[in-house]
Amino acid sequence: MTISAAFAVFRKEMTDHLRDRRSILIAMIYPMMGPLLLGLMFCFVGGSMQHGVGGAQGGPLVVPVVHPESAPALMRYLERRDVDLEPVAADARRFVKGGRLAFALILPAHAAAANAPLPVRLIANPSRFDAIVATGRIIEMLNDYQRATLRARLRAAGVPAALMNVLAISRENVGRAAGPSVILLSMIPPFLIFTLFTGGVHVLLDATCGERERGSFEPLMMNPVTRTDVLSGKLGATIVFTLMALAAQVVAFWIMLHAVPRASLGLAVPPGAWRLILVVSVCLPLVFLATATQLLISGVTRSMKEAQTYLGLLPLIPGLAGMVLALAPVDARPLLAAIPTFGQTVLMGQLVRSEFVGGGFIAITAVATLATTALLLYVGFRLYDREEILFPQ
Amino acid sequence: MIEVRGLAKSFGGLRVVEAASFAARDGEITGLIGPNGAGKTTLFRLIGTVLRPDRGAILVDGIDAQRDTIGARRRLGVLPDVRGLYPRLTAREHLRYFGALHGLYGRDLNARIAELAATLNMGDFIERRARGFSRGQQMKVALGRALIHRPHNIMLDEPTNGLDVATSRAVRDLLRRLRGEGRCILLTSHIMQEVAALADRIVILAGGHVVLDGTPAELRRATGLDDLEEIFMATTQDGWAEPALAAGQ
Repeated sequence: MTISAAFAVFRKEMTDHLRDRRSILIAMIYPMMGPLLLGLMFCFVGGSMQHGVGGAQGGPLVVPVVHPESAPALMRYLERRDVDLEPVAADARRFVKGGRLAFALILPAHAAAANAPLPVRLIANPSRFDAIVATGRIIEMLNDYQRATLRARLRAAGVPAALMNVLAISRENVGRAAGPSVILLSMIPPFLIFTLFTGGVHVLLDATCGERERGSFEPLMMNPVTRTDVLSGKLGATIVFTLMALAAQVVAFWIMLHAVPRASLGLAVPPGAWRLILVVSVCLPLVFLATATQLLISGVTRSMKEAQTYLGLLPLIPGLAGMVLALAPVDARPLLAAIPTFGQTVLMGQLVRSEFVGGGFIAITAVATLATTALLLYVGFRLYDREEILFPQ
Repeated sequence: MIEVRGLAKSFGGLRVVEAASFAARDGEITGLIGPNGAGKTTLFRLIGTVLRPDRGAILVDGIDAQRDTIGARRRLGVLPDVRGLYPRLTAREHLRYFGALHGLYGRDLNARIAELAATLNMGDFIERRARGFSRGQQMKVALGRALIHRPHNIMLDEPTNGLDVATSRAVRDLLRRLRGEGRCILLTSHIMQEVAALADRIVILAGGHVVLDGTPAELRRATGLDDLEEIFMATTQDGWAEPALAAGQ
């Protein structure tokens, strides 16, 4: 390989694509979508999941109640627990079904007979995040009320109230991230993976399939350069654009994590700059893997359109694995580390959630990904050795 | 000098070029003509080293193009039929790019670009991006790109295709000047008058074979016909037997 020739190709591709609106859009604007979307989710979904209906944490929980007059003691108890009672008409069920209310507490029209249980019905629409959290909170309060009432009754009957307790449960959260924000933070890796596989894709496609379709590959290869020189220059430019996209997205995520209200984030401390630098380091082998995969696909497809079809689907495969991991995290096992993109997704998830990250796991992930990249590059370069690859179909 | 010896090339069993042999000499313009599908483009690509022959050899100034492809490419300047410009690069950037690929940098490269811009009259569009260039402007950039490294051997595929009269004439004048400098020029064209006016030697290709090769006078003698178009028609129809005199030898 001639370094000067490869550099000439690299410089040309950089000049060319820094002027190309599509390349810039994909490398610099598309990566903003992830942080923007996640920021909105943190503010709205994260906030409502954390606090339920009724605004900020510690603020009153608004509870729509049908027939509050039939259980005045319960209503007083709830009001003491900072609940805003909102009497609603008897057809509250229709309101919940229709989406006008997230949930409603339905009491019978008349008070229960002495020592008979009061039938209490909670109607909720669990497809609403705010309903999940709010009903959780109201059920907890109803159970507390039940226990407090029972304790008072036992005391009145001369039975020690301590007999009620079989277990003394306490909970300690050792993660730095807490609450539903953990799920949202775990969605950062799939977004990063998606960007890695899309950031430089247009540059590579235009520099290979586009070059072929324009008919410029033929005059280019009539110069005293090898295909390795030319492809190295093109891969270099693709890597730079992918890194630009990655950097843009990581910075945007950092800004988002510090810009969203801390209360909605549900985090003690958002991941710091050092953690995000580690995330980028973990991603670096994937930059090469993504570029090698794109080269391979551009080599087997017959046109830019065909390549775009496949390369549009490609990021979904590792991205989907990341989405699954966001909802069902797995243990960091060495076997998983050896699966390119999957290992990185696990690692990045641990990093953004500020969990412990093993050095061995990082090493296995990097080596396995780079070995796969070398194999893909070998096949990709071989594909570009074919004569017909230079000419428009 | 470009020498083609027994060149053959097939694509998936279809023989496109068969045992083609001819030479394009220094200080001469050699016209390569043939009907559509005769194998001209394949032959061009074989000589331009972007296709590998199944058999035969290509020598560029004595360099075996298959053994030393890079060496052969250094001595070749090629204007392909499809100009293949980059729409977002200026004319100057095209010349700079191809100059860099030939190892030209800095002052030498800038001086060469200035020289070509003057020769090809590119002054009014050299800083403009190629998107929207007229065919004449495209051809000038592609020609400048092919000549940036002062190649001794120049191959041009349909150099005046789609050009207006004035630009075509300017191209012909340039080719004569390059011939005067002792360079070897190989061109293809569909315009018989152009080949007749320019070429010192004509190679007629049909069905992948060289059916006739010689100076215009030798071709006239071999066929008994005066007009190149008549010669072309006679030699590229089925049933034409190559004359024993192997014109030009």
